[in-house]
Amino acid sequence: MASLAEIEAMIARMALGDRQAFSALYDATGAKLFGLCLRVLNDREEAEDALQEAFVKIWRNADRYAANGLSPMTWLIALTRNTAIDRLRARRRHPDGDDGIEDMPARTPTPEAAAIAASEAKRIATCFEELEDVRAQAVRGAYLDGMTYQELAQRHDVPLNTMRTWLRRSLLKLKECLSR
Amino acid sequence: MSDAVDRDDDRALAGEFVLRLMDDEMHRAFAARVAAEPELARMVRDWEEDLAGLAEAVPEVAPPPRIRQQLRTRLFGADSPRRSWFGLRLWGAVAAAALVAVFVLVQVQTPTAPDLVAEIAAEDRGLVLRAAYSEDNARLTVDRVAGDIREGRAQELWLIAEGAAPVSLGLLTPGAMSQIAVPAGLRPALAGATLAVSDEPAGGSPTGQPTGAVLAAGVFVSG
Repeated sequence: MASLAEIEAMIARMALGDRQAFSALYDATGAKLFGLCLRVLNDREEAEDALQEAFVKIWRNADRYAANGLSPMTWLIALTRNTAIDRLRARRRHPDGDDGIEDMPARTPTPEAAAIAASEAKRIATCFEELEDVRAQAVRGAYLDGMTYQELAQRHDVPLNTMRTWLRRSLLKLKECLSR
Repeated sequence: MSDAVDRDDDRALAGEFVLRLMDDEMHRAFAARVAAEPELARMVRDWEEDLAGLAEAVPEVAPPPRIRQQLRTRLFGADSPRRSWFGLRLWGAVAAAALVAVFVLVQVQTPTAPDLVAEIAAEDRGLVLRAAYSEDNARLTVDRVAGDIREGRAQELWLIAEGAAPVSLGLLTPGAMSQIAVPAGLRPALAGATLAVSDEPAGGSPTGQPTGAVLAAGVFVSG
């Protein structure tokens, strides 16, 4: 995969309307971002649509990337994840199939844990280990499954306020670990 | 001491914001705070960076090759015969050699009766658009009946299902007609939903939610 500096340069060229830079960025990051769309949406067709939508936004917003202060991969990931979650929530609000939250199997964290490579990922994984399993799962469920407090409370079978308290504490604990 | 507590509160809130755990109203209110408070914006950025590690760990999956071409066509209109055909027609029609930018892809097709229609209009009818959606090809066609796009600005079309946050359907083209492919995930939400057009900076809303004034709105009803 391209280095962060290379990705940053591609985005800068895209901001100037360089179409080749767009293709280069797609080739360098498409598989990572498609993996993310699939992980969030768990539906191939929707993930394909989400990926396209994300890259359209990336192209259109490339000129504003420099101002946001995020590292390039983080920007791409945040934009793609938000796009996928918007779709997921639109689908959940209008379940024409059986996509209700009750039917969603609780995912175990193993596939992600197994694939950890990047140092950023290692750092957060280490800190996740310090959280109780079930609490780490809740944060992961919110980030990768786009779950709301309501849905998390249902999945973990605790009252909503308990869920909120758990999650906030977990976030602060995570932050404390990450800033060590 | 209480400062430290507030800081912790803000830090947890920033995490909830990034995770998208807040309800729509809270999310919008917090986004406004983030825009106004650099320290809060920094906390949000930090969470984005930290949590992106979770996404970094998700296995990569190569997207189907056609997606790349579809994207290029969608963004750049590359190799689109319709576009060059339309361009030629335009050039023929424009007698003076004025500089004309063609943004619109006009699709020539036999019209089928739309399944859903909406009139999206401003109260003073300074902006009137007619939207028609056909289930056959999942395309939304928006005809500009009255009103233009302000110089240097964009008009973004939003789908607002009942009780839901607006979802962008894309930018409207300055010409007479915009064609929008409706993503599969949004199709079930169309009937009875509100369509709204907001004023946005060139290139569209930077946040994924409307940032400018709502210029016009209408409801999708059966055609």
